[in-house]
Amino acid sequence: MSTLLTRPVARRWQTLFQDVTRALVLVVVGGLALTMFVTGTAQLVREATETKNLSLEDIFPSPRAIAGAWQAHQDLLLQQHIPQTLWETLAGLSIALVLGLVIAALMDFSTVLRWILYPILVVSQTIPIFAIAILLILIFGFGTGPKIMVVVLFCFFPIALNTFAGLQGADPELISLLRAMGASSFQTWTKARLPAAMPSFFSGLRIAATYSVVGAIFGEYITAQYGLGVYLKRSYSSFRLDQAYLAILLTALLSMLLVLLVNLVERLTLRWYYTARRASWRGPGIY
Amino acid sequence: MSERPCIEVRAVSKTFRDDGRAVQALADVSFTARSGEFVTIIGPSGSGKSTLFNLISGLTEPDTGEIMIDGRPVRRDTGLVGLMPQRDLLLPWRTVLNNVILGPELDGVSKRAARRRAREMMPLFGLAGFENAYPDTLSGGMRQRAALLRTFLTDRDILLLDEPFGPLDALTRRELQRWLLDIWHRFRKTILFITHDVEEAVYLADRVLVFSARPGRIVKELTVDLPRPRSSISLLSEDLRRLEAELLEALEGNGPASTPERVESDPDGS
Ligand SMILES: Nc1ncnc2c1ncn2[C@@H]1O[C@H](COP(=O)(O)OP(=O)(O)OP(=O)(O)O)[C@@H](O)[C@H]1O
Ligand SMILES: [Mg+2]
Repeated sequence: MSTLLTRPVARRWQTLFQDVTRALVLVVVGGLALTMFVTGTAQLVREATETKNLSLEDIFPSPRAIAGAWQAHQDLLLQQHIPQTLWETLAGLSIALVLGLVIAALMDFSTVLRWILYPILVVSQTIPIFAIAILLILIFGFGTGPKIMVVVLFCFFPIALNTFAGLQGADPELISLLRAMGASSFQTWTKARLPAAMPSFFSGLRIAATYSVVGAIFGEYITAQYGLGVYLKRSYSSFRLDQAYLAILLTALLSMLLVLLVNLVERLTLRWYYTARRASWRGPGIY
Repeated sequence: MSERPCIEVRAVSKTFRDDGRAVQALADVSFTARSGEFVTIIGPSGSGKSTLFNLISGLTEPDTGEIMIDGRPVRRDTGLVGLMPQRDLLLPWRTVLNNVILGPELDGVSKRAARRRAREMMPLFGLAGFENAYPDTLSGGMRQRAALLRTFLTDRDILLLDEPFGPLDALTRRELQRWLLDIWHRFRKTILFITHDVEEAVYLADRVLVFSARPGRIVKELTVDLPRPRSSISLLSEDLRRLEAELLEALEGNGPASTPERVESDPDGS
């Protein structure tokens, strides 16, 4: 505290100014967020109460109706739509995984590349995918290509960004130690940075996995022959909400299975991370 | 013990700067260590001891002055010495066994051979049975021992040990001190050893360097002329006590309060 008093007067005014500015900005931003929350919720409630042209049963079909839809279309779904969607999802996710890792590594390696790639990354996420999809069809034709590309576009961003953050977050003292031991920069990368980034990589991959199925269905919805997206589109155009719900349920199921798969792989590869976090025999504490 | 200087530190100073604040860590430090010499360094907290190790290991360069190892300037050449930092800095994703073989692994030695050698050393370091444990499941002292083993296995002729026995219990400490003296003698290592323990500083060393409070400079060099092996001398011996007293006096004469502070605000918050 004594340091505060001995500081030059100019410095003290400066800190005071900074404190006031900080408080002001926080109040304005916080107030704005609160106002938007209240008016937004009000809007939603108003609109929902105004449009009452469908009965509740139409909007929420009974589980039996959904089961009926499953029985009717089981073969079609299992043999054509689901395999198609799954193939697009897995292909897209795998490409996104490699692409994300490469981008993260490049951004980590060189500052110049970071300056170039970072804006491109962000912009790639701001372009409406719908606009791009048409372009993709022009490039890849009407086949599976555009759908896989849509999945890639959805998925590579969280992987790249999270992995990059993980690589940057590696303990600098650990890296210094490796350098002091004579490690080359490639060795510090493979032996310290990359392993340190693994937990972040997996949380990126988990987000990507949840997006991936949605991405594939989105792509199929635009135009496709097979896939859950097409099934969903046809259900809506024929007002078969039971079928639409079936498609939604299957989508959720696929996403969930994918996330579980990621979790399983994570548990197996990051054993150290989980022993550290839940050392069950020791319980919480600092040792 | 040969007379060839193995480490030469010439008029080294180092100042850290960040946004307008300057902290001088080292001011005009000079000393040499002969090949095969055991030098301990003692001094108040914040007197630049760890900074000195960073300079010798080539992680940073001094502002002025020069550091030579075996007659060649270090500059930013890393990997010449074995460094044991103050924090254990074990890789959390590696088991103890894979952590301690990091040095040979970086040097391109086969992992199998490195592991075999490491396994043999485990019992001595009290790590037997913990080869496959992750660092986060070890106690602080065990982690420290693993870090010491890792440093030893890097197989460098010069070892820089930054408070290696800090968090150890008295018994393990004594045992490892004996072990260190033994390998120092057997493998003719040159050791710089930072400690806060006056008794340890005298017990291990050929020579003790006493650092002043920040900015660190060497205020006293104490030659320890006790017979070797040290395990033969009694811990209550007159000579040992006399040297310890001398050391304490040098330290007290340079307590933190008596040195003028060059920075405008204390980064330690003390
Ligand atoms: N990277 C850095 N940036 C700014 N200041 C630093 C940096 N490294 C060290 N210092 C400062 O240099 C001084 C000496 O630090 P150093 O770690 O060398 O002390 P030490 O003698 O090892 O202390 P201890 O006995 O507590 O380990 C300290 O005041 C510290 O704040
Ligand atoms: Mg230190």
